[in-house]
Amino acid sequence: MILPQDTYLRLFGVDRELLDRLVAAALSEGGDYADLFFEDTSYRDLLLRDGVVASGGSHIDFGVGIRTLKGEKTGYAYTESTDAASMMDAARAAATIARDAPETGPYPTFPFPGKPNPAADRYPVEKDWRTTPAKEFLPLLERLEAIIRSRDSRVSKVIAMLSAQQSNILMYNSLGELKYDTRPCGTIAVSVVFSDGKSQQNTHVSRSFRCGAEMLSESLLQELADDAVRNLDDRFAARRPKGGQMPVVMGAGASGILLHEAMGHAFEADFNRKEQSIFSDKMGRRVCAENITIVDDGTLRGNRGAINVDDEGVPGQRTVMVDHGILTSYLHDRISARHYGVRPTGNGRRESFRYNPIPRMRATYMESGTDDPQAIIASVRSGIYVDEFANGQVKIGEGDFTFYVKSGYLIENGKLTAPIGDINIIGNGPEALSDIVAVGNDGKVDPGAWTCGKEQSVPVSCGIPTVLVSKLTVGGE
Amino acid sequence: MENIPWSITEAEISLARRCVEIALEEGASDVRVSLSKSLMDLVLVRDGSPDKVSRAGDRSLTFNIFADGRYGTFSVNRLDGELMRSFLHDAVETVRMLAPDEFRRLPDPSRTAKNARTGLELGLYDPSYASLSPSERLETACGASIFATAKPEGCRLISEEIEYSNSIYDNLVIDSRGLEARHIESSFEIGCETTIADARGNKYSGYWWDASPMRGDLSTSDVCAKALQRAMAQINPLPHPGGACTMVVENEAAARLLSPVLGALSAFSVQQGNSFLRDSLGKKVFADGFTLCDRPHDKGCSGSKLFDSEGVATSEAPIIEGGTVRQYFINTYMSGKLGMPPTREDAMRPTVLPFRPDGAKEGSFGTDEILALCGEGILVTGFNGGNHNAATGDFSYGVEGFAFKGGQIVHPIRGMVITGNMLTLWNNLIAAGDNPRRGAGKQVPTLAFSQVEFSA
Repeated sequence: MILPQDTYLRLFGVDRELLDRLVAAALSEGGDYADLFFEDTSYRDLLLRDGVVASGGSHIDFGVGIRTLKGEKTGYAYTESTDAASMMDAARAAATIARDAPETGPYPTFPFPGKPNPAADRYPVEKDWRTTPAKEFLPLLERLEAIIRSRDSRVSKVIAMLSAQQSNILMYNSLGELKYDTRPCGTIAVSVVFSDGKSQQNTHVSRSFRCGAEMLSESLLQELADDAVRNLDDRFAARRPKGGQMPVVMGAGASGILLHEAMGHAFEADFNRKEQSIFSDKMGRRVCAENITIVDDGTLRGNRGAINVDDEGVPGQRTVMVDHGILTSYLHDRISARHYGVRPTGNGRRESFRYNPIPRMRATYMESGTDDPQAIIASVRSGIYVDEFANGQVKIGEGDFTFYVKSGYLIENGKLTAPIGDINIIGNGPEALSDIVAVGNDGKVDPGAWTCGKEQSVPVSCGIPTVLVSKLTVGGE
Repeated sequence: MENIPWSITEAEISLARRCVEIALEEGASDVRVSLSKSLMDLVLVRDGSPDKVSRAGDRSLTFNIFADGRYGTFSVNRLDGELMRSFLHDAVETVRMLAPDEFRRLPDPSRTAKNARTGLELGLYDPSYASLSPSERLETACGASIFATAKPEGCRLISEEIEYSNSIYDNLVIDSRGLEARHIESSFEIGCETTIADARGNKYSGYWWDASPMRGDLSTSDVCAKALQRAMAQINPLPHPGGACTMVVENEAAARLLSPVLGALSAFSVQQGNSFLRDSLGKKVFADGFTLCDRPHDKGCSGSKLFDSEGVATSEAPIIEGGTVRQYFINTYMSGKLGMPPTREDAMRPTVLPFRPDGAKEGSFGTDEILALCGEGILVTGFNGGNHNAATGDFSYGVEGFAFKGGQIVHPIRGMVITGNMLTLWNNLIAAGDNPRRGAGKQVPTLAFSQVEFSA
């Protein structure tokens, strides 16, 4: 949602003259670039537990972050007050980097980031979270619990949470660029504990979108309930497979965490300009098979990773990182774009005004291939199929990654057989990429509430079609 | 408190007290207000020269509001007296929309802390903090670097990133029943991440850190050398067949295995049936040698605190004693829900006590001694991803470290996974060292477990 410019200036109590004075203060020690990031975030949450919505609240976060750059060196300070004196103090604190950092200039100019298109608002709001009374939401959470309980008698406990955030953002920089945006984000999540009298199982499902309260509907609740009880008999029956190296078929959607952790982070340009990434010397080279194209996309309407502009005022865009197997782009913020002499890709993101922006993913996914998903499974003599992940982690330098698999199945002679769960799969990013031997035609972006935790937390999403990795290490008995 | 930078001012304390009054005037039956301020100065040095300086000053007011048998939580970082009336009015109105919950109440005043008046009682504030200048901070961080002088054999030093920070945290908790408790601590931290490449271009990274509430106790001189050493030690990993073997987990990494146990002791998890330790109170479910205590009153030590987030007084108490569960973490709300006496919201400074299977009473008992005792197995020095199932205790973690034989490290391992169950794992505890990292909030030493399943 993009409001008139004056709305943001009034909200933060600033005008162009004050913005220019702040930028001048931030550059007063010799910095070559400065920017201001104003944020006004309101957050509401409601929690259903033990059958009632008996907990909730609201939170306000307000402030401005001021950054000074000298070459690739960063000075950063913020204040929770937008009175001129507090902001001047913060600007002078950020400015000190230029005094402390060694002189290594002259620095190249910043590539023009492109103009945002206000008409291409990626998250219009029909029903504003801030003005919709909380009492409208209470019955929805109660209804969600009722639907889940009606689906299976083994439901023991249900915790359902609705959270809604809306941020007004104003950005200004020493290039004279003034950008603004209003970002909604609504999340509904439910954790369920099931008991069959002998053992327990738990699950957690969520949906998260950049849109207003219009996202809440009966069909969304039904969808969440479907996911919560899906394959429940198999969850109770799940066992750990025998461990070792084997073919792994990744189910479409949430398996996109593989891309995010194992490859996406290593494509972030800060790791590459510091030569820490395993991909730092592979630009323009083949990193996987020709049928693989990997994208990081900030333009998906209503997606949790969508942005009209990033947190440096660079327009949101779609960035092809791997084009038919060739590494074609890193994910850039302004610093790394200047380092590499390319246009920033709109990946400069931050958790809040408390953090300086760094290259971060948005919605990262692999484009669909041509293989039939069932044929992919049928091609595996002995391996596993995985379709639900809890989390993952990667070591950027080494490229080693680990994913925790909540559920999946053994593949025996081309057929899904015994259910499996609570295992890790482990591998190496570049090796796993080059070991992808089949890409399904069923690509999809997972609608869950994914959050990336690289130094700071930002909302992201991920997706993938069904893929076959010829060998990964599976933890088992 | 005038000489403590960024500490809570008298005006801010008055505002917090006034907020209690306003909330009651607006219809709350009870209210708790937590006023927090923190200041952090950070210097990041990359490859020997400053890369980033930052200053972060935060303050916030958090309200736990009880009204008409209902409850809500609210926070704001704009400490503007004029805004508070409307904010608290809206907050109370929101609470009144929620369903009643008979167990929501403030803790009984007899249980709240009476000995945290100044916030300085635990000696966690370093008076020299106020005199630390930006240039000293920069000199400390740059002075720790070995990027220009290190000449590692058999590899190339790609990057060295040092993060040095000093911070102040000041927290005041008051409530409408007379609670007033304060906690002030300073913290000095340094960490170094080093990335190297071997002769074939394979990259490895190593990390080391130190932290202390006292500036003089911080060890900065060897942090980069240790990070480099840890990166170099990983060069040329060899395959390991896996299978069930003895696992020694270095003190640097061992807290990862304690966290699921602490989570399972939370009354919230127990009440929700999402704990592998439900129905375990008073029962012996772990190995004889597993004793875990909370030591929140250790003066000058990270993690120590005289009160929990409800303002309830903390105490030195066993949590697990000789393998028997002695305590769940039960706050006021969960006490009502479970019909059990309240304890504390959480462990503040959980400490695993040493356990020597040989019964020896003297001499240090660190990683080297435990490796010697175990003879052969895998030394885990870090975890790479993984998770556990809170309801069942089943876990699976990626691990990195070294194979050892005859008590000596023989080669690095890579790409291995451990799987098992938390109850089984801690039942197979065969040794606990006396070497927890000083600056860690969770005091977990090097641990050894038998019969851990490794996959490769």
